[in-house]
Amino acid sequence: EELLVEEV
Amino acid sequence: MPSAVHVFDASSPWRLSNQVSLRDEAFGALAYHHGNRRLVFLKSPELVALVRSLEEFASADEAIDAVVASGQHQRYVQALSSLLNSEILCGR
Repeated sequence: EELLVEEV
Repeated sequence: MPSAVHVFDASSPWRLSNQVSLRDEAFGALAYHHGNRRLVFLKSPELVALVRSLEEFASADEAIDAVVASGQHQRYVQALSSLLNSEILCGR
């Protein structure tokens, strides 16, 4: 269920 | 000026942008885009392997089928779509 991509 | 709208088509060929540096980490990898200065966390080793292998396949769909466990296809299509929005990926 976790996001595979996160952006900063 | 608004940024361009990117539409991800999994039946098309993609590759890692030349402006992106990828650094492997325990959780997956960090991707840094030298142009737009975005720092993106790729949070699974499978996603990193998929991104690195995109250039070897005629489409993202084929790459996903080759690299990712079955049943996870749509999840990885969504992840690649996010990477396109960040301009980590580009068409070829």
